Amino acid sequence: MTGAAEARLRLPGDGRWLGVLARYGIVWVTLALFVLLALTTDGFLTGPNLRNLLDQQATLLIAASVATLTMIAGGFDLSISAVAIAAPLVALRIENATGSVALAVLAGCAFGLLVGLVNGSIVAFARINSFITTLATSFIVFGIGYIVSERSIMRPIGDGFRSIARTRVAELTTATWISLAVVAVAWVALAGTRFGRHVYATGGNSEAARLAGVRIRQVVVIVFALSGLAAGLAGVVASARTISATPSDGFGFVFGVIAAIVVGGTSIAGGTGAVWRTLLGAFFIAFMVNGFNLHQIDPIWQRIIQGLVILAAVATEALSRARRA
Amino acid sequence: MADPEHDGPVHVELRGVSKQFGSTQAVDSADIAIRRGCIHALVGENGAGKSTVGRIISGVHTADRGSMVVNGRPCRFRSPRQAFAEGITTIAQELALVEDRSVSDNVFLGVESTRWGFVARNGTRRRFQALVERTGITADPAAMVHRLSVADQQRVEILRAAARRAEFVIMDEPSTRLSAKERSQLHHLMRSLRDQQITVLFISHFLDEVLELADAVTVMRDGRVVRTSEPSSETADSLVEAMIGRELAGSFPPKPPRPAPTSRPILRVRGLWSPALAATAPGVTESVAAKQDPASNAGLDLDLLAGEIVGIAGLVGSGRTEFVRAVYGADASNTGLVEVEGLPAGGSGPRRAISLGLGLIPESRKDQGLVMDGTLRYNVSLPHLRRITRKGLVSRGRERDLVSAAVSGADVRGAGTEAPVRLLSGGNQQKSLFARWMTPDLKVLIADEPTRGVDVGSKRSIYDLIAASARDGLAVLLVSSELEELIGLCHRVIVMRKGRFAAEFVHPDLDEARILQHAFGEASSAEHASSAASPEERAP
Repeated sequence: MTGAAEARLRLPGDGRWLGVLARYGIVWVTLALFVLLALTTDGFLTGPNLRNLLDQQATLLIAASVATLTMIAGGFDLSISAVAIAAPLVALRIENATGSVALAVLAGCAFGLLVGLVNGSIVAFARINSFITTLATSFIVFGIGYIVSERSIMRPIGDGFRSIARTRVAELTTATWISLAVVAVAWVALAGTRFGRHVYATGGNSEAARLAGVRIRQVVVIVFALSGLAAGLAGVVASARTISATPSDGFGFVFGVIAAIVVGGTSIAGGTGAVWRTLLGAFFIAFMVNGFNLHQIDPIWQRIIQGLVILAAVATEALSRARRA
Repeated sequence: MADPEHDGPVHVELRGVSKQFGSTQAVDSADIAIRRGCIHALVGENGAGKSTVGRIISGVHTADRGSMVVNGRPCRFRSPRQAFAEGITTIAQELALVEDRSVSDNVFLGVESTRWGFVARNGTRRRFQALVERTGITADPAAMVHRLSVADQQRVEILRAAARRAEFVIMDEPSTRLSAKERSQLHHLMRSLRDQQITVLFISHFLDEVLELADAVTVMRDGRVVRTSEPSSETADSLVEAMIGRELAGSFPPKPPRPAPTSRPILRVRGLWSPALAATAPGVTESVAAKQDPASNAGLDLDLLAGEIVGIAGLVGSGRTEFVRAVYGADASNTGLVEVEGLPAGGSGPRRAISLGLGLIPESRKDQGLVMDGTLRYNVSLPHLRRITRKGLVSRGRERDLVSAAVSGADVRGAGTEAPVRLLSGGNQQKSLFARWMTPDLKVLIADEPTRGVDVGSKRSIYDLIAASARDGLAVLLVSSELEELIGLCHRVIVMRKGRFAAEFVHPDLDEARILQHAFGEASSAEHASSAASPEERAP
């Protein structure tokens, strides 16, 4: 071997540098994209645009920050879409009947929690793959949405309902504040509590977790229940933003949620990830879309580029996994 | 060894090969020449670079520096496929078979005989037959792989290698998971590969195997080649000294004093039985043993005293692991009683066991012990989070105190408490499991094969940890396949066979031959004693 090749290969610490780059990749790219847009795009770095961005991301962040826990515990919750569609219909049914916004929100969240409990119990006790379980319950919940709404668009009878999302506090909408609160709670629960540690352990190696005294089935039930609850809340907030709710059966929302989680760098295999990653993943995608729109790029191309970005994110994760194997 | 056949031409030669991972120099300017048609052993502690050498030859890794010569031509493999084209193939520690397919499907995977794009059944059958005749390795081509024992799966891997006309087979720790009988079958297979002029690179921890089988042995330490020699000029001790770079101190620490047999037991087990134990005891069904007739001698009884080290010996499948898992409550549906200082624990799951002061170091650190992606800190504190939680949050300060005390107590070395445990060597991973249970409220430590796949240096520190635990007043229940280990460490050794306690020996009457007789069930016929005691028949 020549001396030059030797020198190149023995570059001190290059492995570690690459590791840091890969590990915090989402931080650098989100920051870089932010700076790039701020420098090149008129109208990006303005108060109204950024506030609007936060408001638009609110529902996705509510669902995605909690679904991050599910993913890290090794689960996959597809029913987020169905719950986010049906929960506001349940909420509006209650609002229409009682006129109470509080009861309506409670009912929407309770509905999500219930679906989540069912999902979690099936996954934990019947040991059916969570992807399949939540695919099946999704269809059931879509159906419930049609029944509850009698197949029509629902609107609130009072003005109070829209105020859930559209009240302004310190320049930001309540939707934004709710999402920030949910992100904060999910973040602390995952990073700071015993439960959070158990979530990582369950997804990382469930048998080792069990033998170390972690009640893994309980962990699974709880993460799915929380994911359902958050999806219900996200649906209610979304319907308050648009002041209506429509029964449908689309899986679009959950795909956005999963994209944010995965782009952030949380492993779909479970065991590793973080809520801050999902936050960055969501904003990376949001900045990208916002930049596209401000530059008036054809939405068709936006889709294709988004797909490539998700692939790149997953590939980065897979590569860093392969390197350490 | 002087057989001229084994002085054949050099098949694969490494010259000054180096490989670095991150900041670790895994292999450092290694020179190794492997002759054609030889069994060439590669030994060294974990992390000495043996497996990396194997992976460089097989193209999994590409060397950073140095060169490789295969059949006289310089080669530089960038993928296993390129190595394979030169006839080099690997039989790994973790077998790589498609479990839900038949033996013949697996043997010909990727090299199927096809006709018009469909797999040709008759052609495949004939090829399999020819392969069996050529190699002398028999196997049922229609059997499903997941039904086979580990040893039989290994035969399938070897057949697969043969089907691909491999000339150079790398075996990385092939005998680790085999019983004594299976191991001798493997030795036979390796010899028959050699007879067909196939070169075998044999990476192993078992020095007696190496000394018996190999035509040449290369010792590695810290990524460097210490020496290559003929096994006839080596002994197990000389190899170990070369591996660890110093002379062997005594293999075992002095035994802690045995507690008075009259003292109150810390762990009481009465009539313990579980479905998993029943599966190891043919003829004793669970219901008969435990439910319908509790008065019969069903279930297992054991008393452990504080400061006592009790070993469980027995063959693989004798119920050793199943028994200690039942004591820990690892699997639900135990019957019988497990008490720690008078408080019942059995059958209520690991959580209850832990809260009463039981700790289990399970058989497989990778599958059952550690969260490999988690940091050392996470892994050590995992069962103790309740104690260090304040106001709902895990207290970092308390966690740091707990973990740093445990990690230094268990002498875990490596990348620090904030690095994932998968970066640690096997020995340090095992020690991190000891660290997990280095807490003041532990009363009974259960260790199942704590030194499996661990290098010589770490082995000794694990023995020290076990002895120190007993000296600190813990009761230790130790399962091991290595009788030397049980004899060197334990106050008492219980021999299990077919889910029952077959015999019990008390120090100083711990005798390898007698333990083996009971393990094999030959205790009544004295004439079998000598054959059972031969080193080759050592319990797996």
